[in-house]
Amino acid sequence: MKKGKWTIIVTIGIMSFILVLVMFMQFKVVEQTDIVGIENMRDTELREALADWKEKYEETNKKLEENRAKISEYKEKISENKEVSEILEKELEEANIILGKTDVEGDGVIITLTDNDEKTYTYSNILDLINELKFAGAEAISINDIRVIGNTYIANISNRYIILNNNNKITSPYVIKAIGDQNNMQSNLSIKGGYIYVLSGNGYTINMEAKKKIKIYKHEGELDLKYIEK
Amino acid sequence: MVILSIIIGCLLGVIIGVNAPLIPYAYSSYLAISIIAALDSVFGGISSTLKGNFDFKIFVSGFFCNAILSILLTYLGQKLNVDIYLATIVVFVGRMFTNLTIIRRHYLEKWNTKKEQNKQ
Repeated sequence: MKKGKWTIIVTIGIMSFILVLVMFMQFKVVEQTDIVGIENMRDTELREALADWKEKYEETNKKLEENRAKISEYKEKISENKEVSEILEKELEEANIILGKTDVEGDGVIITLTDNDEKTYTYSNILDLINELKFAGAEAISINDIRVIGNTYIANISNRYIILNNNNKITSPYVIKAIGDQNNMQSNLSIKGGYIYVLSGNGYTINMEAKKKIKIYKHEGELDLKYIEK
Repeated sequence: MVILSIIIGCLLGVIIGVNAPLIPYAYSSYLAISIIAALDSVFGGISSTLKGNFDFKIFVSGFFCNAILSILLTYLGQKLNVDIYLATIVVFVGRMFTNLTIIRRHYLEKWNTKKEQNKQ
């Protein structure tokens, strides 16, 4: 009888333990999920909420698309700008080459004028030669490694000196380098009645040779403009 | 002695239940149903004790079998898409009320007889 009572007591204890344990676990679950409140909503409410969310989702999606389109537009613009700037850079480079602000290299001719005992070169001889070379299609010219640019002047200061840009004094021998069509320049200068033909006939010492990859240095100094107004 | 074991069991249940890991929400309906079934058994046991025809084996088997059966029925109902757990709740809660009524009447009658005895 006593043994039976003990089993009853233990069993009841275990049962109450299980019951309360499960109850409290359930309480916890309900407490946690009650915050969301989904289980309390009816079908129609849930549907409405779902529709709301869908609308919001679509709206957000639309905005996203718009933003994406904007981004691609901006990207296009950026690349366009890049192209423009590249073109500008190229133009600037070309302009600098033409202006004489960069060292250039190319095929051309080298003409050496040397004073001899009888004849002395004057500024007009060199001027004529530069003119002839330009006429023959020279793209870049230098005299004694001084670049001939748009506002280069050649003038006498004495029998011995000729001045160039920025009062560069030069004297014989005058080495004139020209990049351009070699055949054209050579034939233009040495043709009968041409520059070399006439001068060498008059007793001047003149020498011309065609050379590949002549290097012509850039114009030293600034190109200051004081009076030109844009 | 019995009351002491109940109190100890309840205390242990509270302590462990509060610290137990969270059960997934999908299983909470099963738990709820089993709790209702077990409570029904408890009240049934109390009322039968008061009536004097308490059988410990019936009580224990009812406690566990009702809980398990109610869980199985709920599961079946979910598979069939019928809310069988509603019927389970109706049955168990109805029985709980009957048992509570029995308990209440028992103690009221006891109280009344005591009063009359005092008067006499």
